[in-house]
Amino acid sequence: MPAAPLPEFSSSVKLKYVKLGYQYLVNNFLTFLLVPFMAVLAVELVRLGPDEIITLWRSLHLDLVEILCMAFLIVFVSTVYFMSRPRPVYLVDYACFKPPNTCRVPFATFMEHTRLIYSDPKSVQFQTRILERSGLGEETCLPPANHYIPPNPTMEASRAEAQFVIFSAIDDLIKKTGVKPKDIDILVVNCSLFSPTPSLSAMIVNKYKLRSNIRSFNLSGMGCSAGLLSIDLARDLLQVHSNSNALVISTEIITPNFYSGNQRAMLLPNCLFRMGAAAILLSNRPREARRAKYRLVHVVRTHKGADDRAYRCIYEEEDAEGYSGISLSKDLMAIAGEALKSNITTIGPLVLPVSEQLLFFFTLVGRKLINMKWKPYIPDFKLAFEHFCIHAGGRAVIDELQKNLQLSPEHVEASRMTLHRFGNTSSSSLWYELSYIESKGRMRRGDRVWQIGFGSGFKCNSAVWKCIRTIKTPVDGPWADCIHRYPVHIPEVVKL
Amino acid sequence: MVVEDELPAVYGHKLSTVVPGSVTGETIVYELANIDLVMKLHYLRSVYYFKANEIIDNLTIQDLKGPMFPWLDVYHPVSGRIRRTDNGRPYVKCNDCGVRIVETKCGVTLEEWLEIKDSSRWRQLVPEKVLGPDLQFSPLVFVQFTRFKCGGMAIGFSWSHVLGDAITAANFIHLWAQLLSGGSPKCQPIHKHETKTEKTLIKSPTSLELLSVKQVELVGDSWLSLNNSKMATYSFQITEAKIRQIQAKESSKVSSFEIISALIWQCLAKIRKDKEPTLVTICKNDPSVKRSGLFSNVQKIGTVVSDFFPSKVAISKLASMIAKQQVIETKIIEDLVEKESGTPDFIIYGANLTFIDMEGVPLYELELKDQKPIHVDFSIDGVGDEGAVLVLQCPQKTYGNGESGGKMVMLILPEDQISPLREALESASGIA
Repeated sequence: MPAAPLPEFSSSVKLKYVKLGYQYLVNNFLTFLLVPFMAVLAVELVRLGPDEIITLWRSLHLDLVEILCMAFLIVFVSTVYFMSRPRPVYLVDYACFKPPNTCRVPFATFMEHTRLIYSDPKSVQFQTRILERSGLGEETCLPPANHYIPPNPTMEASRAEAQFVIFSAIDDLIKKTGVKPKDIDILVVNCSLFSPTPSLSAMIVNKYKLRSNIRSFNLSGMGCSAGLLSIDLARDLLQVHSNSNALVISTEIITPNFYSGNQRAMLLPNCLFRMGAAAILLSNRPREARRAKYRLVHVVRTHKGADDRAYRCIYEEEDAEGYSGISLSKDLMAIAGEALKSNITTIGPLVLPVSEQLLFFFTLVGRKLINMKWKPYIPDFKLAFEHFCIHAGGRAVIDELQKNLQLSPEHVEASRMTLHRFGNTSSSSLWYELSYIESKGRMRRGDRVWQIGFGSGFKCNSAVWKCIRTIKTPVDGPWADCIHRYPVHIPEVVKL
Repeated sequence: MVVEDELPAVYGHKLSTVVPGSVTGETIVYELANIDLVMKLHYLRSVYYFKANEIIDNLTIQDLKGPMFPWLDVYHPVSGRIRRTDNGRPYVKCNDCGVRIVETKCGVTLEEWLEIKDSSRWRQLVPEKVLGPDLQFSPLVFVQFTRFKCGGMAIGFSWSHVLGDAITAANFIHLWAQLLSGGSPKCQPIHKHETKTEKTLIKSPTSLELLSVKQVELVGDSWLSLNNSKMATYSFQITEAKIRQIQAKESSKVSSFEIISALIWQCLAKIRKDKEPTLVTICKNDPSVKRSGLFSNVQKIGTVVSDFFPSKVAISKLASMIAKQQVIETKIIEDLVEKESGTPDFIIYGANLTFIDMEGVPLYELELKDQKPIHVDFSIDGVGDEGAVLVLQCPQKTYGNGESGGKMVMLILPEDQISPLREALESASGIA
């Protein structure tokens, strides 16, 4: 019996080496071509000897004017090249809001409140089942207004939560980076579900006394992927304005969005969404390159809103009894999968090594021309990235992406642990995940990170960062006091 | 005379929950001792009144709730919920579910409130909840903060007796006050009861009749025994001078608790002509008793039997019987519960006429940022039909026009016995 599996093993090992060989060959193809060429040239030069080379040079009959013109041409072309390159955008540092333990909501408390608030026992049962399988831990936090039975969502409480989470994150960021409020040139805030007047960006300008010519933007209604949209906007602005700093705030305010009705499709957000915020400092100043942590390489945005199904899959509406909430459709995972495929199709050529692209191309051609039944080739993104930050929207999202991208449990550990410790903090979850990776000491110079965000619309956005200096532990951040306890095993179903 | 006016409404109830600051852990349970299970149908209710001043009125709800998180870390079983083992024996699962907080407002000033003669006024200031019918979702402790018009605050605590006795409850509340005033919590062990491994062989209990405990109809998961008569409460103060006067009159050298109990025993016996209580239960809460942990029910429970009708016996004789002849039944009670595997339901207070000595319970030492309460209302819910009498501390400086010192007495009796008793006490000794 043991003889039978052995050939399989040895054949798979052989296959692995073949794959490795193929990858080295194709990815370094140009080098392989260039090396013999340079070798031949060098041999030829040596053979010719220095005198003959000088004679060859003299025979070209170059005079001063022609030499100057050529030099000028080279300088001109290189200047045009360097000027037309996009300005590099650096992530100097970022800070995540750490919720205090006075906002903590254990499972038992959540369930007890649910029983007291909801009249329909089926809603209570449904939420219990969701919470048991959610992948959340016992330390996630809700704002003070949501600790009341029933929750007390006044505008004042919403503003208080916004001030609390946003100002904490910005204060941390200022302490970490030493940036002065007067040095901030661009401010982008994204918060999907709370949009007061004056805006949250105005609230920040007021509190920190930012300059009167600040370029501030407030993005609302754009869902959980809006964090990367803000980064994209800040990047575009940093192309236009030289020597500038941009402050990006990603958050979601929970207080006004408690759903008190009984529609199952709308009860999910209550169970999963928790308090969180992140403040990120981007810059295009050359001197920041020395102390910045990351450089932004790509941002790829995919919007599937043209498709009606995708447009309606996360929809805010009022139920039959008049309670407003966010309805999640049953095809959410399918739509997320399609959006991811679109996004990958665009980002693949930008980041994948040539070997993977060729394989994908040939499989595509083969499927079209030779045989439709060939399995589509899923490129191996593990070759393109060292770290993955998948939006911690829920356990199902992370499972689905792990399957689709064929990632190992280590790659999705940051996402799962963020979901466990902080819950679904919407657009800021990607930053908690990045902080987890740093706190574990896994971030080295040269590592590439892929942040994937999903959100209403339906949108799938990606950002690719390159780490430009190794980040040493201990890292001061939201994980500082608990990283030693992680990773934890998260059971399939928690018995409540 | 009880004022027949309607009580001023306490309104604006806002409920929330406070949990321990750190995760207790998934499988932590707190085992309930046998004596705890005997006390499970009783609830301690106390209301602390604080005068209006800058310090008290500037305490926001965040200031009040803030210290509760480290507080519940120390006392984490309080945040748990009752579960039952497969045999049906209750225990506390420490699942961090939390303590319920109620915020209310009152439409009258504190002074006006304290002038209300209706002795059940305290009921509006502390939640009257009991454990059950959903034991899994019933908080063990409630706290109510009531703000009065023009300042002042009342803090109502509801404590399930199953967790511990009055001294345990008082220590619990004091730790919160210390944390509020800026102290830091000391890590103390939660008492781990010696479980069934230590079994004392008991002779069949029928030979030794257990007098202080009454087995009631099974209450199932609704932990409140039903009374046949409607119970009411009344509290009054007996000044130091009056106590000395009564002691002198009866030429008795017993303590204030014994003389007061004897006096009330005799008066009640006279009122209950056909069913004079010849058997009374005495409970003593002694703060000097050594406790092995944070939670314990270590009050001394004993009985006194009078061979003659108490209405005919002299007060001094009754008092000396109370002082000397107590049969301490605490251990026997524990063994009985052990034998029955904790499943039958018992009451202690009110099984017989019960006198509870609470002089040692430090009610007036609760300091919120150096502010002490000006008055405390204290009562017990779940008392049986025979009734209970509590003898409590008095504030150093009595609020209002009364003289200082002495004892507060809280009567918990069937409604129709309170007025006659008051008249009897008035005529006998000029009190109440």
